[in-house]
Amino acid sequence: MSESLANITFCQERQRTPKIPVKCKNRNKAVPIFLINCLILCVLSLLFLDIDWGKIGARIPDIGRVFWQLGHFNFEYMSVVLSALTDTICIAALSLLYSLVLGIFFGMCAARNVFKLPWLAAFTQAFFSFLRAVPTPIWVLLMLVCLGMGPEAGVAGLCVHTTAFFTKSFAQSFESIPNETIEALETTGTSRVNIFFNAVLPAALSQIMAWCGMRLEINFSECAILGMVGAGGVGYVIATSLQGYDFGTAGVAITLVFLIAFGIERAFVAIKRRLS
Amino acid sequence: MSVILKFDDVSKQYAKGRLALKAVSFEINAGEFVSIIGPSGSGKTTLLRAVNQLIPITSGSVWLDGEEISRQKGAALRKQRRKIGMIFQNYNLVAQLSVMQNVLHGRLGYMSGINGVLGRYREEDKREALTLLEELGLKDFAYHRASDLSGGQKQRVGIARAIMQHPKLLLCDEPIASLDPSSAKVIMDLLKEMTAKRGIACMVNLHQLDAAINYSDRIIGLCQGSIVYNGSPKDLTENLIERIYGTSRENLMLGNKNEAGS
Amino acid sequence: MKQAVKIPLIAPDLKRVYTIFLLVVMVVFILSTAVTHFNGLTLFIHADSIWQFVSQDFLPPRLPKLSRLPGVLESVVVTLALAMSSTTIAAILAFLTALFGSEKISPFPRAAKFVRGFATFLRNIPTLVWAFILFSSLGIGTGVGFIALCITSFAFMVRAFVETMEDVSNDCVESLTAVGASFPQRVSQAIVPACLNGFIAWFLYCIEVNIRASTIVGMVGGGGVGMVLFSYIKTFRYDIACSIILLIALMVILVDRLTAILRRELLK
Repeated sequence: MSESLANITFCQERQRTPKIPVKCKNRNKAVPIFLINCLILCVLSLLFLDIDWGKIGARIPDIGRVFWQLGHFNFEYMSVVLSALTDTICIAALSLLYSLVLGIFFGMCAARNVFKLPWLAAFTQAFFSFLRAVPTPIWVLLMLVCLGMGPEAGVAGLCVHTTAFFTKSFAQSFESIPNETIEALETTGTSRVNIFFNAVLPAALSQIMAWCGMRLEINFSECAILGMVGAGGVGYVIATSLQGYDFGTAGVAITLVFLIAFGIERAFVAIKRRLS
Repeated sequence: MSVILKFDDVSKQYAKGRLALKAVSFEINAGEFVSIIGPSGSGKTTLLRAVNQLIPITSGSVWLDGEEISRQKGAALRKQRRKIGMIFQNYNLVAQLSVMQNVLHGRLGYMSGINGVLGRYREEDKREALTLLEELGLKDFAYHRASDLSGGQKQRVGIARAIMQHPKLLLCDEPIASLDPSSAKVIMDLLKEMTAKRGIACMVNLHQLDAAINYSDRIIGLCQGSIVYNGSPKDLTENLIERIYGTSRENLMLGNKNEAGS
Repeated sequence: MKQAVKIPLIAPDLKRVYTIFLLVVMVVFILSTAVTHFNGLTLFIHADSIWQFVSQDFLPPRLPKLSRLPGVLESVVVTLALAMSSTTIAAILAFLTALFGSEKISPFPRAAKFVRGFATFLRNIPTLVWAFILFSSLGIGTGVGFIALCITSFAFMVRAFVETMEDVSNDCVESLTAVGASFPQRVSQAIVPACLNGFIAWFLYCIEVNIRASTIVGMVGGGGVGMVLFSYIKTFRYDIACSIILLIALMVILVDRLTAILRRELLK
């Protein structure tokens, strides 16, 4: 540091100053490299995808037309839309509840500090990170093949991904509990399961609630699209009516989906504000 | 002495209906060191931010250096603002940037076009920044991240940034409220010394009555948005203190009891 | 001896909150079960058919025909490219938009509400619904998948960026305003350096989300590995589908690993 200053005064004397640096000495040089690489990758990807922008550009006015038609609500099939929407909401809620229970159980196995069995934690985490890596609609598709059409496939398929998500995040929350708390109970001779239910779980409860809220938002929108790959619910209505050019019905269904998603988001923002 | 700042019948009403300033009028002369005291919620912060229009006023007018700043907008307002340095309670540095960069931010008001956006400062400015840092005892930290400094050091960077503006007036919003007593003294001494040397007028919001009495040429006492005292620290009597704070002097926690008040 | 009254362990009002909460959960559970006729035992009742499917149709995974192999690998690259390009473009647009989405930073504070409202509208319609709307106006293809992914990640990042900026840069923006800096100067000298780490964290998160989403958009007609998978499932080639699912899982896990490393390197 003092060297650079000496350098500067020296330069002042010589009247011809090289540029005085202004930036931090130890700043993270990886950041600009990363940003530039992202841009390069983005351009390469666009070149590789070879999208026919001309064709898309020519059809842009059609988007306006579709929205115009979506805006002309058609309430003729309202009962179908509503029952599909109820199905969707119920599937989202059920999958969340089942996964919550499963997630707490598997999270207990996956957390390194509960049973103190490294192999169990490692195995559970590896298995569930595989389940998590495969997107939800694929699980639903497979469940459709096994269980046939209907909400069962939806709930089961959503559960796979949600459970995997909960296992990872709950395990994280469990592991963030200070070790001293667990030790204090260990010394009293409490069994592992009792420690978990009396110390670890209550301590992580608020975080679990936060994860649930976040997941409810995701599950609802996931659930709304499941119909599009063939399961039931409001997604099916949207997909079939769009493909059948019945834009009025689709408009109603999409608006309802939007309103509910928006409502859930607002509710959780309000709860978060209340708690903080 | 020339008047540098003039408040004429200034009022500020917030959207929720709270009247923060009630018809405030006063003048500040060039080179003067003025403290503003008063209990929390008395409008000190609003008053200070009304000077450079960080908070727009509701009625009245603020005159800076012969121009009515409260009417100006956009580029003209920015031109006026660069005449006013400002120091904050929380230092308000950009934590990720170097100390040098933070100090040079003081020059941004004078730069236009792409140079200011890219942070390409002139060499004279950089040299001045280095001398200033040396004067403030921070030359070894010039290339550290601002977040690595201690509170007192950060506030010194804040002072350097304000001085870099070549201001005619320096606004200090609770400059020592987040500091320990010894750093607080260093900062107050530096403020007094640097502004006296450069002939900069200085307005300081203070919670510390003793500091206000020790350092200022003049004290303005604010209570519920109105000025209840405007005069020399020598004439600040027990009664007046009671009127400003709404409680007697015994109930105020004061560090260094000197007898200036009696 | 009289029966002893139970001694409570927690404050009564807290207990009431818990009880009400549990009751609500029970009601939701029972109602949803009644509506969907789903019960948790379904999986066990159908256990044999599931087992049959898994053991006979699904496993062991089989590779697609050798001639198809390069096509499958290319489709993986398409999916990755789709996610990468759409996230980057969306991030750039979202950054520019987010500057106008916060009252404290935007030069037009009155418009900030509308910017955020627009983003909320785009965000709360799921990606796949956007894809379907766009397919019915622009036709099926990779470009449309690209736009659909862009829309939702753009809207998500606008919200995230606005929140990051309001959290981090309020103080330093104020100090630069006091200095007399113009809006572009405030952006480049205070907002960008103060928020860059936050932006990068959200960008990486969005990449992870979009890798999955681009697979799904592919399934309904956006191209890429999702489309290949869907075509095998539709033609009942579940064993080949299995190997493609493994391929997707591998791709996603690798990308997650990569973003984890980048996070560690960039955000220290």
